[in-house]
Amino acid sequence: MSISLPRFTRRETPLLGRSHRVRAIVFAGLRRELRRPAAIFAIGVGTLITTVSSIFFVLFAPFLLQGQPLDLTFFYLPASNTAILFFVTLMAAIVGSGLVADDLRTMALTLYLSRPITQADYLTAKAAILGPLVAMIAILPLAITPIVAGLLGLFAWTIALHAVGLYLVIGVVLTAFYSSIALFLSSLTSRKAYAAAGIFAVTFGLTIPAQLLASAINQPALLYLSPWEDFLAIARGAFGVGGGPIDWAPALIILLGETVFASLATYVRMRALEVITG
Amino acid sequence: MLVETRGLTKVFGEIRAVDDLSTAIPEGAIGLVGPNGAGKTTLLRLLLGLVQPTAGTGSVLGHDIADGIPVRERIGYMPEHDCLIPEMTGIGLVSYMARVSGLDRNTAMSRAHDVLQFVGVEEERYRKIAEYSTGMKQKVKLAQAMVHDPAVYIFDEPTTGLDPRGRTEMLRLLTTIASTLGRNMILSSHLLPDVEAICKHVVILDGGRQIAAGDLSRLLAGARDRLRVDVRGDRDRVAQALREANVEADVGPTGLRIARRAGVEAEVFRAARSVGAEVRYMGVEIRSLEELFLETVRQGEAGGR
Repeated sequence: MSISLPRFTRRETPLLGRSHRVRAIVFAGLRRELRRPAAIFAIGVGTLITTVSSIFFVLFAPFLLQGQPLDLTFFYLPASNTAILFFVTLMAAIVGSGLVADDLRTMALTLYLSRPITQADYLTAKAAILGPLVAMIAILPLAITPIVAGLLGLFAWTIALHAVGLYLVIGVVLTAFYSSIALFLSSLTSRKAYAAAGIFAVTFGLTIPAQLLASAINQPALLYLSPWEDFLAIARGAFGVGGGPIDWAPALIILLGETVFASLATYVRMRALEVITG
Repeated sequence: MLVETRGLTKVFGEIRAVDDLSTAIPEGAIGLVGPNGAGKTTLLRLLLGLVQPTAGTGSVLGHDIADGIPVRERIGYMPEHDCLIPEMTGIGLVSYMARVSGLDRNTAMSRAHDVLQFVGVEEERYRKIAEYSTGMKQKVKLAQAMVHDPAVYIFDEPTTGLDPRGRTEMLRLLTTIASTLGRNMILSSHLLPDVEAICKHVVILDGGRQIAAGDLSRLLAGARDRLRVDVRGDRDRVAQALREANVEADVGPTGLRIARRAGVEAEVFRAARSVGAEVRYMGVEIRSLEELFLETVRQGEAGGR
C-alpha cells in the first residue's frame, strides 16, 4: 500500500462578468438609498402625494372641470400635476446629487476604478440606482391612475391601458432627463449640496423665469428653455391635447438632446476625473 | 515579466510625470522608490489603467495596460490616500469590493471574512469605517486589495500615517504576502527601510525616469570593490589628499568611498595624517537602500537628466 502526501494547490476564484459587477454596485446603491431617511421620505411622500392627487383629478374632474371629455385627452391632466415636477426634482436632488459627489469626497472613486470595471460601467450603475427611484415619482403614480380609473369604471379599459402606455413613455423621458442631469451635476463637485442646488436651479431657475418672460414679452418660444414646459408639451402631444404654447416635437428633441448631452458630458468628466483624483 | 514598459510617458500640462520609461520588472516583491514627484504614483496609475499614457506602451503579466479590465482583474490596489466609504462597515465594504471585482455573493462574503481575519480586523469589522482609527483603515484598505485574490498587489505608501506599532504590524502583513508563492507585489514607498525589509528587487525613479533598477542585494553589495571610510576631521581634504596620491575617492553622505586596490589602506592613513584627520572606520562598503538611493539620485542630478 502506498501513501501519497496531500497536495495543496491554489484554487483560482472565477470572476463573474461585468454585468454582475455593475449589478453589485446597483444593488448596494439601492440598499443604501432605501435606508436613508431623506430618500425614504422623498419616495414615500412623493409617491403618495403624486398618486393621490392624480387619482383625485380622475375622480373629481367631471365635477370640477365641466365639459372635459372623458377620453384619452383627459389623461393629460394628471401628467401636468406640478407635484410630479416638485417631487421628481426633490428625488433627483436627494439621491442623485450624492451618487458621484460622495465618491469624489471620500475618494472612493479610486476604489471603484481600480476594480475591473470601466467608467461607463460605473456611470451606468449610478444611473441604474437613480433611475428607478425617480421613476417611482415620474412613472408609477401616473401609471396607477388609469388603472384605478379603469377599476372604478370611469374609463374604458382600452383608453386606460393606452394611457398607461403613454405615461410609461413620457415618464421614461422625464426620468432619463433628471437622472442624466443629476449625475452630471453630481460629477462636477465633491459637495452634493451644490449638485442638489443645481438640480433645483435647472428645474425652477429655468421654468419660472421662462414662464414669466414668455408671458411678459409674449414670446412662447422661451418656454422651450424650461424642462417642465417641454415635458408638458410632450404630454400634450402624446395625449392629443391641442392648443399648447409650444410644439411637442421640438420639445422632445430638446429634452432628449439635453439628456444625451448631459450623459456624454458626465462621461467625459469621469474620464478627466481619473487624472486629478488622489 | 511582471511589468514591462516601453517609452511609457505621461504628461500633465508641462509636467512629465513619467518620462519615456522603459523597464522590465521581474515577478516577485518589487520596491518602487523615488523622491516626492518622482512619478511613482503616476506609474502605478498607468499600470492600473486609471490614467492613459501620453505615449508608449506597457504590460502587466503580459496583459496590455491599454486593455484595462484584464489587467485590473489581476491587480489588488491599495491607494495611498483615504478612499474608504465611511458609512459602510468594514465587512460590508470589503465584501462589496469583492463583488465589484466579480466574485459571487457567497464567495465575496467568505473571502471578506478571511482577509479581515488575516489583516487583524476582528469584531471591529461590524463597525462603521467612520469610527475606525488610521491603522484600522489601512488594514481595511489592505483587505479590500486582497479580497479577490489577485496575482499582483500594488501598495502605495501602505505605512503612511501609522504609529510605530501599526507600521510594524503592516510590515509583518506585507512580508507574509511577499513570501507567499505565486504572489507579486509592487510596494511604492519613500520609507526606504520598509522597502529594504520586504522587497527583493527595486526600481528607483526620479523625475519620471528610471535611474536604477535591479536585484536589491546585488545593488547594495555591488560596491564590494570599494571601501567606506569614516574620518574625524575634514573629509574633503582627506579625499583631495587621496586623489593627489592617485586613489579614486569621493565624499558621500556617510563618509568617503574609495576604490579598492592593493595598499590603499596605507594610503588612507597617510592621507588622513597629512591633513590632521583621524580614521575612525574603514571597511568594505555595504550600502543601505537609503545610501544607494541618495547616491543614484545625486548621480542623476549631476548627469543633468
